[in-house]
Amino acid sequence: MKLSSHIARQGRRFTDWAVLACQRPARPAVLAIVAAGLALLAAGLYRPASSEPTAPPPGVIALVNGEPILMSDFMSEIEIQYTVPFDQTTPAQRAAMLHYMIDNELLVQRSVALDLPEQDTETRTVLRDSLTALITAPVLAERPSDADLKAYFDAHRANYANMGSMTLIDLVLHVGGFENADQSVDQAQADAVEAAYQLRSGAGIEEIKQHFGFVDSGSVTGEEPDFAAKLRLGPKLYAVASQLSDGGISQPVVVNDTVHLLIMQHRRQPVYNDYNSVRNNVYSDYVEEKKKEAMASYVRFLRSSAKVILAPGQHE
Amino acid sequence: MMSSKVLIVGGITLVIILALGWRYYEIGAHRAIMERRLMETPPSQVQSHADLIRFATAQAKPLFAENCAACHGADLKGNTAIGAPDLIDGSWLYGSRVDQIERTILYGVRSGLSKSRDVTEMPADGQRGRLTSGQISDVIQYLLKLGNRPHDELAAIAGKSVYNGTGECFDCHSGDGKGDSENGVPDLTGGSWLYGGSPAEMYKSIYFGRHGTMPAWQGRLTLEQIRALAVFIHTASRQ
Repeated sequence: MKLSSHIARQGRRFTDWAVLACQRPARPAVLAIVAAGLALLAAGLYRPASSEPTAPPPGVIALVNGEPILMSDFMSEIEIQYTVPFDQTTPAQRAAMLHYMIDNELLVQRSVALDLPEQDTETRTVLRDSLTALITAPVLAERPSDADLKAYFDAHRANYANMGSMTLIDLVLHVGGFENADQSVDQAQADAVEAAYQLRSGAGIEEIKQHFGFVDSGSVTGEEPDFAAKLRLGPKLYAVASQLSDGGISQPVVVNDTVHLLIMQHRRQPVYNDYNSVRNNVYSDYVEEKKKEAMASYVRFLRSSAKVILAPGQHE
Repeated sequence: MMSSKVLIVGGITLVIILALGWRYYEIGAHRAIMERRLMETPPSQVQSHADLIRFATAQAKPLFAENCAACHGADLKGNTAIGAPDLIDGSWLYGSRVDQIERTILYGVRSGLSKSRDVTEMPADGQRGRLTSGQISDVIQYLLKLGNRPHDELAAIAGKSVYNGTGECFDCHSGDGKGDSENGVPDLTGGSWLYGGSPAEMYKSIYFGRHGTMPAWQGRLTLEQIRALAVFIHTASRQ
């Protein structure tokens, strides 16, 4: 047993040595195979980096200072220009179009180099409008329901009315002014209540002005359309005036340190249109508002990541 | 000292590395060559190169599944619920040529880019108050007649006058209803309907209008991928 196991051990040793003897001279060849394998692997995975190109990449008809002119754009332009399918255009036509497109690209590149987006108003407008179109495109795909439009109409009734107008006198008492130096707001209001009472009882306007110290503000002269009257009177007085009918006299209205009495001479009320007669406008306005909302949201997003530095003392 | 086991495993590993390397090299080189050929062959002539079509199809199938199938369906038959066109019914909105399909993929439909396909749009004639419900119903009967489908003849006659008059449908869809297959105007006489051809869907289309969109893929896919997709779709539509 001992002898046989010794022989077996010796035999294995011999085999190991024989294998190693065979492998040893092959080691450089193994390394070469590994290198070749890895090189091929790398070559298979390799994609050339964007170094200086010597020819346009596939699908690009020309590179102008590295900027591509797409074959698709070229074909589209030439078909539009010559109104024939691309295959039917002549070499001369293609050459002319390519020349034109390269010129165009050069001019665009120059305009960017000159920073026209910063300096030229029209360029800025076009850029802004293009981005707006891009941002609002998905909004247009969402068609509103009838209920959406009706709700919008109900919330914006005033936008769908024929404009009313008003002719009125705005009598104003300047509290603590030259004529009423010692008067408080309460006293002025009490005077205005009395003046309104006397006016309703038939007193003349000139008489009231002289007795209480009112002056005509002159803010509304002659017949004014509602929007103009609103601008001149301000929202608070306009809200009161728009409720008065012909010959109506308002209660005193305090605005800052003035007390007003409004005397409506002639009021033409606005006529509100019904939904069906203005559906087209409602639809357009609704879509426009949705577009504005989308843009406002987008600008908020831009602002959230923007760094804006204002000059000292400036605020938005 | 290395055992025989190590040597055998090492040898096998080396062979695998070599084989993989060779395979990747071969695939990469072959792919680069085919991509270049696909891009350099005029789009109108791609169909006459069977190997290019095979290559484009192999490249495009996974791209389509990943990017397009969500709307157009894995079987390319579209989705009437969202107005995604059937791509293999032979009916086209923006041209059937490879270069036209490629351009649609590049810039999209009403994507907001000025190069996108956005010449036409179906107005909301009912919602905007241009047509009454009755007029819309009459137009639908006329459209059913154009498609040789069962219809009410009297209503169809009235619908024809609305189609060519107040509705101004003829302005885009043309007098014979065949539309304009290169400018986004559907053929109303065939059996292909973007949103389904039932009278109820027709009513919705006329009443609420339509504003189908498709995103622009330029920048998201390479030019080679877009060309492969265009060839794939063009080929599928012809089978």
